[in-house]
Amino acid sequence: MRGHNFWLVAKHEYAKIVKTKSFLLGTLGVPALIVVVTAVSVIVALGQRGVLPVGYVDHAGILDATVLPPREEGEELVALRAFSDEALAQAALEAEEIQAFYVLSKDYVQTGQMKLVYGQKRPSEVAREDFVAFLRANLLAQQSPAIQKRVQEGPWVTIRSADGSREFDSENILSFVVPYAAAFFFFFAVMNSGGYMLQAITDEKENRTVEILATSLRPLELIGGKALGLMSVGLTQLAIWTATGLLALVVATSMFPDLLNGFNIPWSFIGVTMLFFLPAYALMAGMMTAVGSAVTDHRQGQQISGIFNLLFTFPFFFIVLIMAKPNSPLVVALTLFPTTAFITITLRWAMAIVPLWQLLVSWVLVVSTAVFSVWVAARIFRIGMLRYGQRLSFKHILTSLQGKE
Amino acid sequence: MATVTVLNVNKSFGDVKAVRDVSFEVHPGEIFGLLGPNGAGKTTTIRMMLDIFRPDKGTISVFGGKLDEAKKSRIGYMPEERGLYKDLKLEPTLVYFATLKGISEATARERLQSWLERFDLQDYAQKKIQDLSKGMQQKAQIIATLLHDPDLLVVDEPFSGLDPVNTRLVKEIIEDLREQGKTIIMSTHQMYQVEALCNRIVLINRGRTVLYGEVDVIKRDFAGNALAIEGHGDFVNLPGVLETRHHNGTWNLTLEPGTDSQDVLRAIMRQDGVKLERFEIAEPSLEDVFVTVVQREEGERGDNARS
Repeated sequence: MRGHNFWLVAKHEYAKIVKTKSFLLGTLGVPALIVVVTAVSVIVALGQRGVLPVGYVDHAGILDATVLPPREEGEELVALRAFSDEALAQAALEAEEIQAFYVLSKDYVQTGQMKLVYGQKRPSEVAREDFVAFLRANLLAQQSPAIQKRVQEGPWVTIRSADGSREFDSENILSFVVPYAAAFFFFFAVMNSGGYMLQAITDEKENRTVEILATSLRPLELIGGKALGLMSVGLTQLAIWTATGLLALVVATSMFPDLLNGFNIPWSFIGVTMLFFLPAYALMAGMMTAVGSAVTDHRQGQQISGIFNLLFTFPFFFIVLIMAKPNSPLVVALTLFPTTAFITITLRWAMAIVPLWQLLVSWVLVVSTAVFSVWVAARIFRIGMLRYGQRLSFKHILTSLQGKE
Repeated sequence: MATVTVLNVNKSFGDVKAVRDVSFEVHPGEIFGLLGPNGAGKTTTIRMMLDIFRPDKGTISVFGGKLDEAKKSRIGYMPEERGLYKDLKLEPTLVYFATLKGISEATARERLQSWLERFDLQDYAQKKIQDLSKGMQQKAQIIATLLHDPDLLVVDEPFSGLDPVNTRLVKEIIEDLREQGKTIIMSTHQMYQVEALCNRIVLINRGRTVLYGEVDVIKRDFAGNALAIEGHGDFVNLPGVLETRHHNGTWNLTLEPGTDSQDVLRAIMRQDGVKLERFEIAEPSLEDVFVTVVQREEGERGDNARS
């Protein structure tokens, strides 16, 4: 393979795709959507306490308005207002002076019975949690500060694998979110890039540039270059999305300082992801090229590529099984199968330890299938490129693979 | 040493025999015409020469041997079905194609300027190809074929879509290239262009070579088969005449093989009230030769089918 042409094709393909509106929309649209959703969530969360106070009627005589639960610096608690009886509280509710009121029964300490009264709208979860925290603080008022803190925060459980190689903090959702985010990223990348690859091949058939290219370079240079260009596009997307994710994390951490508590950067997971990402991507590129070479136009290719996309995103159908039984035979099979390996491994990562032998076998299979798929694509491309208006039959494909045409 | 040698080449697609036992040579520094009616097998032959298809039988030698990647860079190919990236800008597209042929981007850009000026396209360098007129796209395609300064040029219908001014320009460029010692293989249906430009031709019909040699020699061989007549009379229904055309007051008659021109003269003179002003045994145009050979082939094919 002449390296020169290989790189030229990769560069050309990369520049061609990143300048398209669909790429800009697909790449910047996802983070933009995340930013918008995050911003809306934060705004909603901040406004959730409601501007009106929450009232209470304490028949049990256990609440002291001065005893408040521990709070982070700058964290606001919903305003609380005590009433001597329910009629007064009801009048305040009807006058829209309060958003709701709680009534603690006389025997609350024995029975735990409590009533919540509200008007048109139920108070938000945050407001309700604030009142429960206030109640808990009063019940623990006689205890030592250490016990008060422990009861308020609850237990801090660290889940560690038997071999000690992995551990999660139960309170830290990021440990679970990161593998799922990687799986979804690959899902979007497959959907996006498969379409680009298919478009690149069918475009050249439809606009006839393929005949000129065929007399300038070898099919493998063309296909390999396109695959590399596309992988670079994928990595660009990955970089943009990762940067956006990190930015979002920085913003979120400034608002919720506990977010990163107990979160260790999952280097082993990042390493495995990087090792699997490129060959899995090349496999997808090779398969899409083969489809593009065998069909007559882009629309026809899209129908077939839908099935191929499914081969990659198949594990999402088994997400419940992967979460419940991450080491079941079917999940192991999905781990070893080249097209489903990436997503299955990332989804399993959040729930279990993927044995090293499975990772090794799976990686070897993905890499060898990827190389084979690019080679097959180049062979099919050679005969498919010039059969304008003719769909390649299975017999033709076999002939091309045997090198007879 | 011939630039291209095609020897007993055959190619089938399923049951269709596209090319059968075709042979010819193209010499350095000549313009060679690859002719034939639609579907004759010209494009398949070109594609085999360029290693896009592989022949089922026979051998093809380019620049003295098998076509390899280095030799491909010495070829400029303009396919009949033009191909450019419609949604890309003109300059980057042409530079990309040239760099694939092994020249540096800087050289490609430098050369491109003079070609764009020559074809009056300099104002369109940064326009998307889909925004150019059909004629401009055709000129761009010609630049894509020439930008890497190839030694062998294979052009399929190079004049289609061009106005007379640009047709003349392309013709001049092709002649310039021949003077520079480049080899040009030209496939076209415009016989007067072949006549004006080509040294030698091969005529393929239904996948077979039916005529091959120097244009002048071929025309001389067919000289007895053409008559130019002026005057008044019925010159259409004469015996032994394959085709009759009337142009600018002159009747051009193509005779069937074996017909004696003197027999035609006698048949004319037997007509009542005939007035003959000119009767000349004419050198046939290449178009006459083309039509004669193809019709003769078709006739023989019909006879064989009937028998």
